[in-house]
Amino acid sequence: MRAEIKKIQEMMEAADYVTDPAIAMSVHLAMTLKKPLLIEGHAGVGKTEIAKVMAKMLATSLIRLQCYEGLDAAQALYEWNYPKQLLHIKLEESTTHTTSEKEAAIFSPPFLIRRPLLQAISQPGAPPVLLIDEIDRADEEFEAFLLEVLSDFQVTIPEIGTVKATQPPYVILTSNRVRELSDALRRRCLYMWIDFPGFEKEVRIVTRKVPGVNERLAREISRFMETVRTIRLAKVPGVAETLDWAQALSSLHADHLDEELVAETLGCVVKDADDVKRLKRELASGGIGRFVAAQS
Amino acid sequence: MPPRDLMRAMLTFGGVLRSSGLPVTTPEVMDAVRALEAVDLMDREQVYLALRAVLVSRREEMPAFDRCFDAFWKFHADEGQGLDGLIASPQAMPPDEQHGESSSPAAQEKAQIALDDWEDEGTGAEEEPLEVPGLSDREVLMEQDFSTFPAEQLDEVARLTVLIAKRLARRMSRRRKPTRKGGVVDLRRSMRANLMKGEIIELRRRSRRRRKVRLVLLCDVSGSMDLYSRFLLQFLYALQNVFGRVETFTFATRLTRVTDLLRGPSYKRALRRLTEVRDWSGGTRIGEAIREFNQSWSHLADRRTIVLILSDGWDTGEPDVLAQEMLALKRRAGRVLWLNPLLGNPSYEPLTRGMAAALPLIDHFAAAHNLSSLRELATHLTLR
Repeated sequence: MRAEIKKIQEMMEAADYVTDPAIAMSVHLAMTLKKPLLIEGHAGVGKTEIAKVMAKMLATSLIRLQCYEGLDAAQALYEWNYPKQLLHIKLEESTTHTTSEKEAAIFSPPFLIRRPLLQAISQPGAPPVLLIDEIDRADEEFEAFLLEVLSDFQVTIPEIGTVKATQPPYVILTSNRVRELSDALRRRCLYMWIDFPGFEKEVRIVTRKVPGVNERLAREISRFMETVRTIRLAKVPGVAETLDWAQALSSLHADHLDEELVAETLGCVVKDADDVKRLKRELASGGIGRFVAAQS
Repeated sequence: MPPRDLMRAMLTFGGVLRSSGLPVTTPEVMDAVRALEAVDLMDREQVYLALRAVLVSRREEMPAFDRCFDAFWKFHADEGQGLDGLIASPQAMPPDEQHGESSSPAAQEKAQIALDDWEDEGTGAEEEPLEVPGLSDREVLMEQDFSTFPAEQLDEVARLTVLIAKRLARRMSRRRKPTRKGGVVDLRRSMRANLMKGEIIELRRRSRRRRKVRLVLLCDVSGSMDLYSRFLLQFLYALQNVFGRVETFTFATRLTRVTDLLRGPSYKRALRRLTEVRDWSGGTRIGEAIREFNQSWSHLADRRTIVLILSDGWDTGEPDVLAQEMLALKRRAGRVLWLNPLLGNPSYEPLTRGMAAALPLIDHFAAAHNLSSLRELATHLTLR
């Protein structure tokens, strides 16, 4: 059994995802138990990445449903292709088909637009990975609807009949905790909280993802980020910001951090005007040394 | 280990978790067994990670889970006992994890104020005017400060609070009914209605559902505020069907989330539970309480949230902290209301340093000291 988890860890690393035992275990269980996996964590810690890596590992397709306020079943599940239906009705105007024949014609599969959830259920072949991204942005009504779909992976379209998944998809849900999710949904899922990476993990992520950065710079960047995250900011920077910054520094051919360089590129690290001001103040008072001081 | 023992161990573990406040369900326990079959049972970390993934469902549950797991796990890998350690006796659990219904006589007496079961209230007398509880001898109750009622009248006042709230709720939800015009075009139904016409002549519409507002209530429960918060709580919970959800926190020197304690059919029992968790130490640190909310619970406040703070503004903390945290709160929430029972007194002026610091950051400042002020409050519980 242990070998499987190890293999997942290796495969994730091979897919350029720096992982840890907790993440590997959650992915392993999501695949073996076939339960949806709910991933929470701060913005930019790589929640969405996991679904992508999983699809890559399983050599299957990734179907993504991006949630937003007002998202409803029509946009998530299926919709009828109204323009096409209208055209069809127009074309059929002069024929002698009865109303019920016309109706049957325009409410048939060729007129159906499959949205992500239906796609995930009706896809032939290997089950896909279904990523339901930022579920906390959708309304509570949608969450209830989703719960229903996730519990039996079947959908009834009144005009066509019931579509049932032969093999349920692997489901990953992510949440930034903009809104508290219901207990019912939480209890249905496996749960994983991804915290900001520790220093060593972040160094590994930087050197892995941004090849132009040398070991020393990667350590300085990670130490700097670690310190920044202890300051109270409106928006605490995640790994995405670290990588943006490392990328910027790399294209400036930097090999270590200095005050000037940090001041010029601070916009990659924090993206809120108040936060920039605040960070500048901290930098001015403590100096850059405080941020990159090697603790070894 | 045979699966049956594994099952039994997991059922016991589920019970331990439940008594520590993790609402673990039976299907989850079954999944835990399946998860254990997919990992190396001799490896403590794997067992821990697997069970955590299955049985924990929010980050806040992790510390409690860790404690339970440590207590439950008597695993001696070198002795080769494997998972046998998981079948520990429940007595091994720390005693403070056990919940009891008992409480001190003083607390019991406190809790005697109030009430019948929620749901039985206010179903009759549909068409009575809102000015309600009708009879003129009750009119005087409407204006009387909560703190001046003698103990034997509190029951009656509590009942009136709920009654008024229910009437208001009915009125407010009626206002939200969809109008005949407007709304989104329902293409599916339009298509059917116009099948024979070849083009869409008659549009079918459906109304877009108005989204409910969420309420977050931060209740000062220090000393004199206790009584006021009690009535306000009752009022808001009775209004709950108008709002999506009411989240409640109490504070004096520290912040406690009590939403879950207030659930359940019996409000009387709920209040008793509330009395048990109360923080009796003196002093009020409003700024720090709000900071704690901002840090740990900010995901509960968004643009569709109305935050109500109930406090008399006597803050023993730093006014700067209060101002800073109020600003942070205001940035997230849709609307911030401050209810101060002292405002019911005509000669009161918000001069305490804390109140003065917070005042510019409040959308609406109101009293909540008697029944008619509660009724008044309902008109401010909308986002714009």
